[in-house]
Amino acid sequence: MRLGNLGVPQVFCHGNVQISRVLCIAQRLRSLYRSDPDRIACTFLAAGRVESITFGELYRRSLAYARRLGEEGVKPGDVVLVILQHTPHLAYSYLGAILAGAIPSFMPFPSPKQRPELYWADHQALFARIEPRLIVTYARNLADARAGISDFSVPTLVAGDEIFSIPGDPEIEYAGFAASPDDVACLQHSSGTTSLKKGVMLTHRAIFDEVSAYSRAIDFGPSDSIASWLPLYHDMGFIACFMASMLEGTHLVQLDAFEWTIRPHLLLDAMQDYRTTFCWLPNFAFSHIANTVPAQRRWDLSAVRAIIDCSEPCKKETFDRFAARFGECGIGPETLQVSYAMAENVFAVTQTTIGRPVRVAALDGAAFASGRAEPARPGGPQIAVVSCGPPLDGVEIRVRDERSTILPDGSIGEIAVASPFLFTGYYKLPQKTSERLRDGWYATGDMGFLLEGELFVTGRIDDMLIVNGRNYYAHEIEAIVNTVPSLLPGRNVAIGVDDPRSDATSVVVLAECVAGCDAGMAGREVKRAILERLGLAIGSLVPLAAGELIKTTSGKISRTKNKELFLERALRSAGASDGS
Amino acid sequence: MEAERDETFGRVTVVMRRTFRLPENVEIERGTTSADVAGWDSLSHALLIMGIEEEFGLTLPFDKMYDLANVGELADLIRSLQGAG
Repeated sequence: MRLGNLGVPQVFCHGNVQISRVLCIAQRLRSLYRSDPDRIACTFLAAGRVESITFGELYRRSLAYARRLGEEGVKPGDVVLVILQHTPHLAYSYLGAILAGAIPSFMPFPSPKQRPELYWADHQALFARIEPRLIVTYARNLADARAGISDFSVPTLVAGDEIFSIPGDPEIEYAGFAASPDDVACLQHSSGTTSLKKGVMLTHRAIFDEVSAYSRAIDFGPSDSIASWLPLYHDMGFIACFMASMLEGTHLVQLDAFEWTIRPHLLLDAMQDYRTTFCWLPNFAFSHIANTVPAQRRWDLSAVRAIIDCSEPCKKETFDRFAARFGECGIGPETLQVSYAMAENVFAVTQTTIGRPVRVAALDGAAFASGRAEPARPGGPQIAVVSCGPPLDGVEIRVRDERSTILPDGSIGEIAVASPFLFTGYYKLPQKTSERLRDGWYATGDMGFLLEGELFVTGRIDDMLIVNGRNYYAHEIEAIVNTVPSLLPGRNVAIGVDDPRSDATSVVVLAECVAGCDAGMAGREVKRAILERLGLAIGSLVPLAAGELIKTTSGKISRTKNKELFLERALRSAGASDGS
Repeated sequence: MEAERDETFGRVTVVMRRTFRLPENVEIERGTTSADVAGWDSLSHALLIMGIEEEFGLTLPFDKMYDLANVGELADLIRSLQGAG
C-alpha cells in the first residue's frame, strides 16, 4: 500500500521503479495459461447473456486467432484493427494479434446512432495513413464499409466461432513470444474522432511498467476484480480494466457500453453479483448512475474498494451526491477516488490514496480567474477543485507557462509529464509527435496546478470538448455545421456547457443563420448531421444573426468570448424567468 | 385498433414531455426523432426508456431499441409487447 504519500516530493527520479521480470505480453498470457488455466479471466454481460471465459480458454482461442491471422498474411509488425462489440471475440482477436507479433488497435464500434456508411467514410483517411494489414469485424459491417468507402480494399477477417475449428497449438512459438520489451505492442487511438485520431505507440515495457506502478499505487492484485462498461478503444477501458486484468491475472466483468448507457443500474448489479473490488468511471457516469437508478433500490457494494473518477474533470458535488445516494450500499467518500491519466502515459499519471477521502482545495475565486490557486478568503467567492493525487512512482509532473518556464506550486499552467512509461510517439505522425513530446516531456494540453505534491486539473488549452468521457475537437464539429445550407459557412462555434441537470458537458453550437432561415429546421439539420457523422447528440443550436459572433483581434471567431457571451445570456434569461 | 394506437402514442408523448421538459406548444408527431427534440441525447434517452417502462409496466428489449426510426415506431413496439404479454 502507498498510504501516507501526500507529503512526497513532486519530482521523482526514474531509478526507483521496479522493472518487471516478464516484459512480453504473449509470454505473460502463456504463464497465466500454465499456472491458472481454470481461473475466470473475463465475464461478458450483454442483453441478459452471461459468458465467462477462463485464462485457459482465453489463451487457446487467442492462439487460434494468431494462427488464422497468419493464414491471412498478417506478419509481425503489421497493424490489425479490431472493430467488435464487447464479446469474447474482442479479447481473443486482440490478444491473438499480439501473439502473432502484430500491432493491434481497438477502434470504436459504430454507434447505433451513427449512419454506418458515414462511420466508414470518415475512417477512410485514417486507414490510408496507418495502412492496417487487416480489420477484424463482423460480416454485417462489411457492406457498410463498402458503401462508405467505394474502393474499400483493406483485408478483413470475420469474427466467429469457426475460427476455433482448428484449435491453437500451445506449443507453437508464434512471433509474439519473441517480442522485445521495446517493440511496439499496440496502438491506442483515443483522441479526436475519425481521421484526426492519433495512434499512441505503446511498447511492451511501457505497458508492463505502468500496470506494475499503478497496481502498487492502488494495491491491486490477483484477489481484486473489476466491473466495467467502458469501451476498450479508450485508455481507461483498455489499460486500467482490460490490460491490467490480463497482466495481473484478475477477473474482469465487462458490460456492453451501449446497453449500460440505457440501463446504468447494470453496473451496480455486476458489482454486487460478482463482488468486484475496482471500477473506473468518467465523471458524468457517476451522475448518470445516481440520476437514473430507481430511488428505492439498494445494492450490496461492500466488496468495492474504489470507484475511480478519470478522464473528465472530477467535480466535488458529483462525489457528494454519489456518496449520499450509495452510502448505505457501502460506498462512502473514502471509496471515491480520482486518477489523472492519458494514453500517452499508457494510463495513469497520478492517483489519490485508496481508502482515504480525496482532498478538495477551496480556492479564492478571483485569484483563480487570474491563474493562481490561493486559499479561499472568508466571505469571498470560492472555487472547489478536486485533487487528482500525487504522481505514480517514477512519474514527474511539471506545470509550465507558454514559454515552458516551470511554474511554482499554486500557479496554473500547462501540465507536462515525464515518465518511465511514456509513449514513443504517434504512429506515422512524426510532426505531431515532436509538437507534443520534447526532451522526454509530454505537453498534455491540460491546465492545472501542483499543491503540496498533489495535482489539480482545471481545464484544457486547446478546443477539445470532453463529452461523456469521449474527446471531440470543436473544429471537427464546426466543420460539420458548415455543411448545413441554412447557416453561414465558417460562422459558427461549438462550445461545451455544463448541464446542471445531468452533471455532464453538453455541446452547444452558436451559429449565424442566412437571412430568413427557419431556425427550428436549422437546429434539426445540425443535430442530425452531427449525430450521423460523430454519433454525438448535441444539446442545442443557438441561432444568431449575421455578424453577431464575437471575433478576436486577428479576425478569428473566439470560442472563449462567445462562450462567455452565451453563458451570460443564459444566466440573464434564467434570472428573467425566475423573476417572472 | 386505431384508438389503442392513438392512446399508446399519447401516453408516450406524455412521458416525452415530462422527460425532456417540452412545452405544450412543441408538437410531437409519429415521425419525430431525437434530432427534433432539444435535450434528447444519449443520457436523457436512458431517462426516457425508464419513464416508458414505468408508464407501461414492461421492459423494452435492448436489441430492438436502436432499430426504432421515430417516436411512432417506439409506440408500435410498446403495443406489440403489450399484445405479446
